[in-house]
Amino acid sequence: MTMAQITSPGPAQLLKFVREFGLTLTVVVLFTTLVLLIAGAPPLDAYFYILKGSLGSWVKISHVLKTWVPLTLCGAGLLYTFRIGLWNIGIEGQVMMGAVFATLTLRLGLNSQWPMWFLGLSFAAAALGGGLWALIAGFLKTKGGVNEIFAGLGMNFVAQGLILWLIFGPWKRPGVASMSGTEIFPQSLWLPYISSLRLSPAAIALAVTAVLITAVMLRYSRIGLCLKAIGGNSQACVLYGLTPTHFMLLAMMFAGGFAGIAGCLQVSGVYHRLLPAISSNYGYLALLVVMLSNYNVWVVPFVAFFFACLNVGSIQLPMMLQLDSSLAGVIQGALVLATLAVSAWRGRRAKIFEAQTQEAVAK
Amino acid sequence: MRVELENIHKHYGSVRANDGVDLSVQGGEIHGILGENGAGKSTLMKVLSGYIRKTAGTITVDGRQVEFRSPGKASECGIGMLYQDPLDFLNLSVLDNFMLGQVSGLKNEREYYRRKLLPLSTHFNFNLDPNSPVSRLTIGERQQLEILRLLSIGIKVLILDEPTTGISEIQKQTLFAALKQLAREGKSVLLISHKLEDTQVLCNRVTVLRRGKVTGHMEAPFDTRQLLDQMFDQLPTPPSRLKASPGDTILSMSDVVSTGGRTGLQKCNILVRKGEVVGLAGLEGSGQGVFLRVASGMSRPKSGIVEVDGRSMIGKSHREFKDAGVTFVPTSRLEEGLVPGLDITEHFALNARKTRFFVRWSNALSAAKEKIEMFRISGRPRSPVQSLSGGNQQRLLLSFLPEAPRLLLLENPTRGLDVESAHWVWRHLQTYTARNTSIVFSSAELDEIVMVADRILVFFDGKIVKDVRAEDTDSRELGRAIAGEI
Amino acid sequence: MQKNLKQALIAICVAACIVAFATGVASAAKEQFKFGLLLVGPYNDHGWSQAHYEAGHYVEKNVSGTQMIYIDKVNPADRPGVTIPQLVDDLVEKGAKLIIANSDDMKDGTREAAAMHPDVKFLHISGDDVLTGKSGKNLTNLMGRMEYGKMMAGFAAAMTTKTGKIGYLGPLVNEETRRLAASCYLGARYAWEKVLKKDVKDLKFQVTWIGFWFNIPGVTADPTQVAQNFYDTGYDVVISGIDTTEAVVVAGQKRNEGKKVWAVPYDYVGACDGASAVCLGVPYFNWGPSYTELIKEAMGGSWSPKWLWYGPDWKNINDPDTSTIGFVYGAALGDDAKSALNTFIADLGTGKLNLFKGPLSYQDGTEFLKTGVSATDKQIWYMEQLLKGMDGQSSAK
Repeated sequence: MTMAQITSPGPAQLLKFVREFGLTLTVVVLFTTLVLLIAGAPPLDAYFYILKGSLGSWVKISHVLKTWVPLTLCGAGLLYTFRIGLWNIGIEGQVMMGAVFATLTLRLGLNSQWPMWFLGLSFAAAALGGGLWALIAGFLKTKGGVNEIFAGLGMNFVAQGLILWLIFGPWKRPGVASMSGTEIFPQSLWLPYISSLRLSPAAIALAVTAVLITAVMLRYSRIGLCLKAIGGNSQACVLYGLTPTHFMLLAMMFAGGFAGIAGCLQVSGVYHRLLPAISSNYGYLALLVVMLSNYNVWVVPFVAFFFACLNVGSIQLPMMLQLDSSLAGVIQGALVLATLAVSAWRGRRAKIFEAQTQEAVAK
Repeated sequence: MRVELENIHKHYGSVRANDGVDLSVQGGEIHGILGENGAGKSTLMKVLSGYIRKTAGTITVDGRQVEFRSPGKASECGIGMLYQDPLDFLNLSVLDNFMLGQVSGLKNEREYYRRKLLPLSTHFNFNLDPNSPVSRLTIGERQQLEILRLLSIGIKVLILDEPTTGISEIQKQTLFAALKQLAREGKSVLLISHKLEDTQVLCNRVTVLRRGKVTGHMEAPFDTRQLLDQMFDQLPTPPSRLKASPGDTILSMSDVVSTGGRTGLQKCNILVRKGEVVGLAGLEGSGQGVFLRVASGMSRPKSGIVEVDGRSMIGKSHREFKDAGVTFVPTSRLEEGLVPGLDITEHFALNARKTRFFVRWSNALSAAKEKIEMFRISGRPRSPVQSLSGGNQQRLLLSFLPEAPRLLLLENPTRGLDVESAHWVWRHLQTYTARNTSIVFSSAELDEIVMVADRILVFFDGKIVKDVRAEDTDSRELGRAIAGEI
Repeated sequence: MQKNLKQALIAICVAACIVAFATGVASAAKEQFKFGLLLVGPYNDHGWSQAHYEAGHYVEKNVSGTQMIYIDKVNPADRPGVTIPQLVDDLVEKGAKLIIANSDDMKDGTREAAAMHPDVKFLHISGDDVLTGKSGKNLTNLMGRMEYGKMMAGFAAAMTTKTGKIGYLGPLVNEETRRLAASCYLGARYAWEKVLKKDVKDLKFQVTWIGFWFNIPGVTADPTQVAQNFYDTGYDVVISGIDTTEAVVVAGQKRNEGKKVWAVPYDYVGACDGASAVCLGVPYFNWGPSYTELIKEAMGGSWSPKWLWYGPDWKNINDPDTSTIGFVYGAALGDDAKSALNTFIADLGTGKLNLFKGPLSYQDGTEFLKTGVSATDKQIWYMEQLLKGMDGQSSAK
């Protein structure tokens, strides 16, 4: 897998990344402009509104950060699984399970004297929930031989089903049967935030810590080295006395744990309740973030920020330009396609480059 | 039909797989192509069947010069090849596979082809169920199906590449009968083989290749000694092996049976003593690889006992073998031995003590520098291993070897290395035997084995057919054993 | 040369005029009273959200100096990650002085946003935060007395059904949806017993809930399937309680297949359009007048938190300038039923008829209203169960 074959970033690689990112953006802008023109909307205005709608004020930036935090957490988690060569599509379900475990913990703390304890505990529970959920997919992969993509997708459906059942059943609002979510938690169980900015310092701190831990783990720890080695050649790693399946499970647990924390933040910091769309597709989006970041831990936060801007800013399109709101999703769709196209292009170029170097070596 | 190949060349860069080969095949003839691994047999036949393009030379069919740009073109001229691994579609039925390449696809002709397949099948005494999926067939049955398909599209010259590998004795008899039947009907059969016994039973004529050149033609009955001389280089005799006095048993196997590779490993009984250098001879894929992997704990045998230092190692992982002093270096360096994407330093870090949480990068870097120097690896500590040349990759792998392993298992340790590197490798390995380490290695080069081993085991079809001390044998005897003639 | 200069001068003048005009417009815009509208569904859903959207336009037209900024599909399924407080922040930044949130689903978010923006007025449709005292001074609740509209819907359905089986396509279960379904039933039962003189035992009234106000694939039950199921099992009239038009659409399809079926849509005055063959009429909300009243209050500074529950203008329930609740007759409604319905509406208007009057029992047999007792507003608003005689879930299992 090419994703594991990335050495530490040097200036040349950074340059390469910037070039490819620029290329992706150009493809996206061209495509979106075309769509906007077809829809009869002024493209420049549209871009301006997205920019203004995401970075136009401190409050808006804080909303962007609110999206950035779970994206970055999931992105950091995915770096572990990508490093060992696993496609952890199940990250979406791991976010959901984190949210479920967090909700469970907060419900236990409903009438408690020490709500902060339960709030803190909810993070640990969420990490556990996401981690366990990921572990199931991991076991299906290592013991059952089920491809992790299919296992993950299946687990996502199960997690979604579980949330629906909880909301419609055991955790319903009294006298109400609605898919709109569980009863809102009292403010004492909300993640503390700066009210003028609607910004929770704890959430930001968690995301930053996740990135730092991941960077250190991948670069300096033995686990990080082993993940990379197994991702590069799991067969050879047996010779080095490593057990690839153990590390696969470990990587899944890391990814699930971080995703679970993201789910917890969605509950305690954003919606203050459990709802069917609690994961907000951040898991799937984070897969794209990490791919677009070329699996580089230092680039992930920036790409995540860009995606968050797009997510928050695109709401301006229906509001200001009366574009049919589904058009707002086109940019993200285009990003997906452009990311795939550029990474395919990158893969082909890498192959050509490899062939050339091999020829040169042979000579 | 008469096929003539004249002065065929096939070059891969500087490697000459075929270097001016002449061959002629008459109708009604079973013609054997003999030679050791890499002699250019398969290349020649792939040229003839249009699978690869020749570099130079001419092919004439019934006096008419032809140019095959694809296998399809060759089969239009009546030439078809049955590959070592049948190229069929596993999830389709026998009938579907039979119809492939024959039907226009416009109308449903299943019944027509069913009526065609059945008598053809009985004609050759094959027993194929048209409705059975190919995935349920044995290799031998898949061969039969492919032969029928080739015949039904009008093949008059049938090429078979090592057809008796991996099929049962009964299937072999059926196959041979069918091939003889074909010859009686005026068709030609070209048989690639390294097994003397097969050619002896089957062929009217043989052509022997060595290093891309024809070294002999012969009509049946064949003189085995002469054939062997033509197949193998005259081997140099200076044995520079170390005269170590064998000590206690380090590795013992009794009645070990294992799957894997093309042949598996059948009823293997062997003892390896301290300080011994054991060479594993045999055609590639005759069981040496499986033997080494079982002996190193990389794969687990189906039955039998493996002991290291008198302790049973059944069910133990490679790691436990490693802890017991057994080190394995596989042949495919980039597939099994090294991790592409990681650089030299990272490999040393991977080899370092496993108990620490953080990697000691400074230690790994200095280890890398030291070993690069010591093993004269042309690379930098930060060079990704896939950028190293084969010889340097091998030196790197050897630099990972522990100080004093008890048993070194090496698979083709000098494959792909130039003479200078190969010599360096052996000089290095012999420092281990001086420290009482036992070495078991496989090699495709008989002269290498004769040169350095104290003891030689010859593998044939997954069995050890010969176990001799190097001074008690010679290359001709070994060559016969390798070809299955004991 | 001189000609060129002239052209250039003209061009500059034209440009200057345009700039002046534009700034004039801009400065005029500054004095406008902007209000934000959060729609839970698409603005063109032919149902609940479109009724609000058009009321917003009604205000823009009738109250000079007002301007609407709307955003539709405000729900976590359509806009993952987007929250009410976030949208309110944005609308306030764009200058909105009053925010209208049109869904029960936005209850918590609206309250949260209202607390964060004490200077901005909030109008939450269908909520009860003022009644429960959970909200601050800047939030008003508004709802229409759709109970009347639903009674008419139920009445029309019972007058039309040939099988005596009426299906109710319910959204989620809460107080509002319970009382609306119950009102339907009361209207239907009245028509069945008092007008058609049939045995109440022969009237079947089934409520099936989908789980939300509209279809969210994979999350809610599919309303199209629920409606199809009704028609396939002998229910020949389906009354819609959801925001969107599946009932009337499916009825149209079934009619094309030759089935004698009807439907009663909901929410939006134009919901029968294009379905005249099957549409018995539609009870609808007309938010224009109440929006106008409240926005004028907010502009004039006389705003105070209120809990409002506006009914029809009985003089003419379909008067667009006065009546909050209306009922448009559908083309498929028979003449007898039409005249009976006329009488029914007139009687409701005069107060001669009050269907929320005892004896009434809840579904499980417990007493809701004693004989002769009329329900208070709060009793109706907070109904605990469906009524006896109705089939279907009263609350979440």
